[in-house]
Amino acid sequence: MTGTSPGSDLVLSVDRVSKRFCRDFRRSLRYGLRDIASELLGRRRPVESLRTGEFWALREVSLGVRRGEAVGLIGPNGAGKTTLLRLISGLINPDGGSLTVRGRVAPLISLGVGFNPVLTGAENIFVIMTILGLTKKEIDRRFAEIVDFAEIGDALQAPVQTYSWGMTARLGFACAVHGAPDILVIDEVLAVGDTRFRVKCYRRLATMRDAGAAFVLVSHNPLAILSVCDSATYLSAGRVLAQGPPRSVVARYEEEMAGNGAIPDGAAARVVEGSGARIESVVFRDPAGNALERLVSGEPAELWVRGRAERTLEAVSVAVLVREATEGGALIFELQSRDDAGPMEVPTGEFAIRVKLPYCGLNAGLYSVQVSLMEGHFLWMLDQSPTRIFRVGGREGTSQWLFYQPRGWELLTGLDLH
Amino acid sequence: MGQRRVSKANALVAGRDGSHERGVPGSAEEVVYNAESRVRRPRELLAVLCRDLVASRELAWRFMVRDLRAQYRQAALGVVWAFVPPLLLAVAATLASRAQVINVGATDLPYPAYVMFSTALWQTFVEALHGPSQAVASAKAMLARIAFPREAIVLAKVGEVLVNFGAKLLLIAALFLWFGIPVSWTALLAPVAVLELVLLGTLLGVLVAPFAVLYQDVSRALMLATGFWLFLTPVVYPMPGAGAFGTVVRLNPVTPVLVTARELATTGAVSDPWGFTAVCVATLVGLLVTWVVFRLAMPFAIERAGS
Repeated sequence: MTGTSPGSDLVLSVDRVSKRFCRDFRRSLRYGLRDIASELLGRRRPVESLRTGEFWALREVSLGVRRGEAVGLIGPNGAGKTTLLRLISGLINPDGGSLTVRGRVAPLISLGVGFNPVLTGAENIFVIMTILGLTKKEIDRRFAEIVDFAEIGDALQAPVQTYSWGMTARLGFACAVHGAPDILVIDEVLAVGDTRFRVKCYRRLATMRDAGAAFVLVSHNPLAILSVCDSATYLSAGRVLAQGPPRSVVARYEEEMAGNGAIPDGAAARVVEGSGARIESVVFRDPAGNALERLVSGEPAELWVRGRAERTLEAVSVAVLVREATEGGALIFELQSRDDAGPMEVPTGEFAIRVKLPYCGLNAGLYSVQVSLMEGHFLWMLDQSPTRIFRVGGREGTSQWLFYQPRGWELLTGLDLH
Repeated sequence: MGQRRVSKANALVAGRDGSHERGVPGSAEEVVYNAESRVRRPRELLAVLCRDLVASRELAWRFMVRDLRAQYRQAALGVVWAFVPPLLLAVAATLASRAQVINVGATDLPYPAYVMFSTALWQTFVEALHGPSQAVASAKAMLARIAFPREAIVLAKVGEVLVNFGAKLLLIAALFLWFGIPVSWTALLAPVAVLELVLLGTLLGVLVAPFAVLYQDVSRALMLATGFWLFLTPVVYPMPGAGAFGTVVRLNPVTPVLVTARELATTGAVSDPWGFTAVCVATLVGLLVTWVVFRLAMPFAIERAGS
């Protein structure tokens, strides 16, 4: 991966790059001044040490990207993925190592941030495309295509501030995918527009890639990495933990995420104190009562919510929320005991609520589960469990499925039909 | 940031359009980023700066047109806003002077015309001074996401200031007609002095711009300083005589430039040609230095500006 072999068609090579950051904002500003001073005085050198309050956002990270290749960066929040993208884009300076970039780097973000609200869509297209490095001639040639792609039609001559949010985002992306970068830097896959528009964007990206553009893609979503990338790098706390074929890198990532449940989630903290009840554990078990490390699609399972009530609780209900284990991951399902079984009365002391799942309908992947305990008609929150990451093992041939469909096959002939 | 460009971007042309065949591998422009100070490779640094300056022309033009259009499109009174501040200050100063609240000496021009003309010049200087940090602040979101030549936003601002001065010229022309002020042939040279005024403001503005991204104090201090600075510049009063105040006013680098611009446009007798020349030379040298500072400092500022 860390190739710097001469004559190869590497468009990007990142060689033992390090970057340090400071979490204390005031101090980071002071360091900024100091760094500027040493840069100006010619004293700046690769550094091996951290100053007070600093941490390594990236530590000796290496990777290489060839023409037409898509490289995925995966890792939990704060792993340094975005920092690496910013270094590749030439926006910030490395503190150690070096990056060699051949050609133009452009980000795939909604360039709506650069729009001037008073100006028309057409005027803004010209400004944004010039920022992306296109000449007037090139913009003229692509203009109709961009307008067509963005589907803004008659609104082209109206000020951008009259656009709906969706129109602005579409126009921003239309601009982004009509640049001519040698390296396209993608921080999280497109999250705007309707499915149809996204599909269009993906098609356009495929065309760009066929034309030789390389992609560097950051994602929390293993599926995105698996489906798009030729190789992947797993970053954690600024270091490369695994690098190579996406399948093995993603497997390693999922393994570790499931192991330590390390995806940070704002709701992890116990919010409710002294409410009269708390959740003590949330565990998956098989029907025989053995704790399960992971679920398997189609297999039966049970979710055990254990807790303690400090008083008699009337009309308790439980909600089980299962999401994709990515930041802002999509909601897969929410089970409400109140809808299914009506309110429960819980006496003082320990209790366990068992949620029977005749079969696991989730397809292979990483998910998060969070359980809330509520009381009464207005669903007062009694307690909420921290978000737990769990893994579902799949079955052959189901990797493209959205969910696991249990089924049985039977052939009926002749007499059986009557 | 060590940034080296190795080969020229000539082979990129073929590969620009997605539908065309791309350039030969390895022929694209190569940039190296590392942790070395770029000052240590002055030749490469200058080459990069010059290339970016050339490359930023089209972008600068777009930015300028965009900002001017936006500025005038959302203002019902349009160019009138360029006239208002000098007019108001002239009215106030004239009233104060007539009521003998302030006591100014004799001026070359009728006093209201003097104040108006000087204020228009001063305002242009202030716009140039504040321009770079304002431009950087408003382009922050783009600066934090896309690496385009940073010079473009500064150049666009210079252009904008010059265009706005063009608008003020209408007022100045009207003024000259109204008061029947004779114009010397040297008025043809006045644009040089005006340009110098803009460059002087830009020089200082560019110098503080990266620091204004880091600390809000910088913009506030700049605001405060301009208010104070006005009183150290012969705008509402003529050139003071000897004495401590006169010395301070004379040491103020804006003084010779503003006075020269005014004199070239009117009497034609330049009172301080050497002062003017000295400031011009210092500005040109200074611009190179501040440009380097700006370019080297911006990544550190952007790093802390968030995205």
